[in-house]
Amino acid sequence: MAPKSARRRQLEAAALYPLDWVEERTGLVGGIKYFLFRHVPRDTNWMQTLGAATLTAFLVQTVTGVFLAMYYKPDPQNAYSSIQHITHEVTLGWLVRGMHKWGASVFIILMFFHMARVFLFGAYKYPRELNWIVGSLLLVLGMLEGFTGYLLPWDQTAYWATAVGINLNATAPFLGPFLANFLQGGAQIGPDTIARFYSLHMLLIPGGLIGLIVLHMYLVVRLGVTSPPWSPTAAGRERPDESKPEGARQGLIRSGDGQDEGH
Amino acid sequence: MAESKLKRTQRENHKRYKEDVKREGKPFFPYAMFHDTIMALVVVLVIIALACVWYFTAKHAKDGVGALGPLTSAKADPGTTSFVPRPDWFFYFLFYLLRVFKWPDSVFLGTVGIPTILLVLLIGLPFYDRRTERRLLRRPVAIVTAILVVLSMGVLTWKGAIAKESVGAENVQFVPAWAKKQGFEDNAKAVAGAKVFASLTCMTCHAYLGAGSSGPGPDLSAIAKGGRGAQGFADYVAQPSKFGNNVMPAFADIGADNLAALGEFLNASKGATATKK
Repeated sequence: MAPKSARRRQLEAAALYPLDWVEERTGLVGGIKYFLFRHVPRDTNWMQTLGAATLTAFLVQTVTGVFLAMYYKPDPQNAYSSIQHITHEVTLGWLVRGMHKWGASVFIILMFFHMARVFLFGAYKYPRELNWIVGSLLLVLGMLEGFTGYLLPWDQTAYWATAVGINLNATAPFLGPFLANFLQGGAQIGPDTIARFYSLHMLLIPGGLIGLIVLHMYLVVRLGVTSPPWSPTAAGRERPDESKPEGARQGLIRSGDGQDEGH
Repeated sequence: MAESKLKRTQRENHKRYKEDVKREGKPFFPYAMFHDTIMALVVVLVIIALACVWYFTAKHAKDGVGALGPLTSAKADPGTTSFVPRPDWFFYFLFYLLRVFKWPDSVFLGTVGIPTILLVLLIGLPFYDRRTERRLLRRPVAIVTAILVVLSMGVLTWKGAIAKESVGAENVQFVPAWAKKQGFEDNAKAVAGAKVFASLTCMTCHAYLGAGSSGPGPDLSAIAKGGRGAQGFADYVAQPSKFGNNVMPAFADIGADNLAALGEFLNASKGATATKK
């Protein structure tokens, strides 16, 4: 038995060696372990999977978007025909385009649902204020993705919706006309518009989204997930029976401007 | 003073939360992650299902419009079109706000004013709702506001979705009646212009003698009273931004003949009362 267990030890050491190597140089393994094995409240429920659901929809958009970009041609002469090519000729092109088109709507809906959950749980309150702001910016960027992506198929729906959208931007005081001119790349929608929208749609806005998503998740891990506020075993609940230092108890009772007591 | 008490409560509550989670909580993996993974699978499956329904129903429909709409509409054509502009569904509420605020003075409120105010209110939420209470029944203002916001967004989205924009092909039938009411029946150029007006996208933003859309553009039934003259109207429509109008799209693409006819037609539009002479 002894030789076998020695061999087993060797194998384990060999298998773990790359992990140890990476950990020694980056500390990332420890970070991932912390992420996976950190505790969350015992009473978290299905509503709290909406954030993960939104992230999934975003990942679907990035993966399908990468494949669409391999076939799409961002200029007025070829855009429409390249979309036709993707839809009708490329193997499973219809599926990739369909998932991107409908994934966009799913992404937006899930962002709204996730936001509603955070609102209902009061989870935007101290110390999670910044994460609410990051989330709001993610919602705005997500809708801008929708706006810039809508033009790209270069069909009538796309063209006229964007014409109206750009003209609405132009009604803003001072900056409006400049913004409209910048988006169009000229006085009217043309070849430059489609290139600009494409660049914004797949470089600038997604870059911002990815950066903010990383920050969003970092803050979730750092600050923790809230318990449902109605849960009798909510983490952080007040326990009147528990003996606590006199000063702390008094501080709790007096605080909250009369709103938080009496339950 | 009250401020510092609030801060102390907040910090104590969060400290207690951290201790509770450490002591009573469950590890994210595998418990919470199991639920997250199932939810992620559901999301991917729903997206695939939508893509399949969209593609296969449109492919087998005779007119190419499936249960979830067509695969694409016709290729973009900046020139001649009777296409109804419609944004993606999640902008319907903004789209409909434009109909609530009438052109021209208050349209700025609908396009920029209200959305900016809403955005500031959204981002600022944690800073004006500073109470520590999280239970819904003890947050009456929050719950009523939430219901009102959801209802109004829902209604605006729904109204935006069903807003009836007139289609060019339907509007052309009005042309003889317009010519009679406005008294330009014997002006062939004005009649041609009326047909251009009816078949372009004009009436998705403008009303004319009771037809078309009441916003965001003004009613054009009596526009001739502005006194621009036929050529003036043609120039205006070709490039509205030259006249300080940054909302209306430019129509220079429709060609000089159409523009001239359109100018003649607008110059003949003196309002229905003009026919009583």
